[in-house]
Amino acid sequence: MSRNLFAKLEESINNRKDTFLLTITEYPDEKLIGAKALLWPDGDFCTEASLLPLNVMELLAVQCNKLVTKKRSGTVRFMWKDRLVECFAEYFPSPLHLIVAGAGHVCEPVAEMGRLLGFFVTVIDDRKEFANRERFPNANEVVCQSYLDYFRHVDITEKTYILLLTRGHKYDVLSLNELLKRECQAGYIGMIGSRRRISGVFEELQQDFPDESFENLYTPVGLDIGAETPAEIAVSIMAEILKVKNQKSGDSLSSQIKRYAKMGFHEGAGKWTNCSL
Amino acid sequence: MDQLQLIKRTLDIRKGGEKAALATIIRTKGSTPRKTGSRMIVFPCGRIEGTIGGGCGEAEVIEKAFQVIQTNTPSQKRVDLTKGLFYEDGGICGGIMDVFIEPI
Repeated sequence: MSRNLFAKLEESINNRKDTFLLTITEYPDEKLIGAKALLWPDGDFCTEASLLPLNVMELLAVQCNKLVTKKRSGTVRFMWKDRLVECFAEYFPSPLHLIVAGAGHVCEPVAEMGRLLGFFVTVIDDRKEFANRERFPNANEVVCQSYLDYFRHVDITEKTYILLLTRGHKYDVLSLNELLKRECQAGYIGMIGSRRRISGVFEELQQDFPDESFENLYTPVGLDIGAETPAEIAVSIMAEILKVKNQKSGDSLSSQIKRYAKMGFHEGAGKWTNCSL
Repeated sequence: MDQLQLIKRTLDIRKGGEKAALATIIRTKGSTPRKTGSRMIVFPCGRIEGTIGGGCGEAEVIEKAFQVIQTNTPSQKRVDLTKGLFYEDGGICGGIMDVFIEPI
């Protein structure tokens, strides 16, 4: 793969665009086996070598359509001039966007972990002493702006995960107000807070949004693991986000297998070794 | 993301003038240790980076990768994990995977 094409692939993912990397794995002209191209869901493409005839590339784009719609990697095969063409189309999904509003103590480990888990992480705060690169060297974006302006304009899709960790409940209300007005709803909105703070927020919101079910709103944030320190809270929050993203229960995996234990199941091979000897 | 890192590595390896091959799982059927798109870089000395699932299947791909490096020609290798369930280190997974191997 050429450096140029790789840079384009990286740039595309960083701009949060779904991208397919095509590799020719079978082709009448052997020189072209291994040639690469990028394909975007809107049909746009970019080849690394001009060697590939344009009509073949267009044919390829059509052939890959099914994979593009299904958003998955796969291999397509078709005949061209009575010869077999095979191409591996690899799906590089755009990363989920994690927006952390409020750049305080908890935000630091959350932003770090978000990056580790493959999210595109934006930190937003209206105070530049908090929203700066020194505090968040690894975040993808650090924005110093009012919450209201930011949430009024930011791109929101089901791939957007939002955490409200602001310093006061009026900022949460402001942010949620903007978010609930938006046409597209985020995949997850988590709001930190005590029971008192949360009921205050809901009370104010219910006046403006009497029919809102707040289905995607998770508050207080996180799973129940007794988290207290910022790092522990970050684990609890990120675990909940993964649970939502992967649509899983969040239970201990061992709980599913406990009933087998009664039948003599043990992890490891204790009994098995005895038998085979 | 680690697939992207492996592709990036191939660019650096090529820039450094080192010879190697890149193996990518392009098709799977049934149960396989790793999914389509998993990659492994193979060096002529036998060292690998990344994995396509380990075991005998991976060893077969490494063998084939040596040929790819030598001939500088891409190739495909089908790894059949449906046999050998009762052999030592046999393909317990029970699936088949096609691996595309290209010189770096």
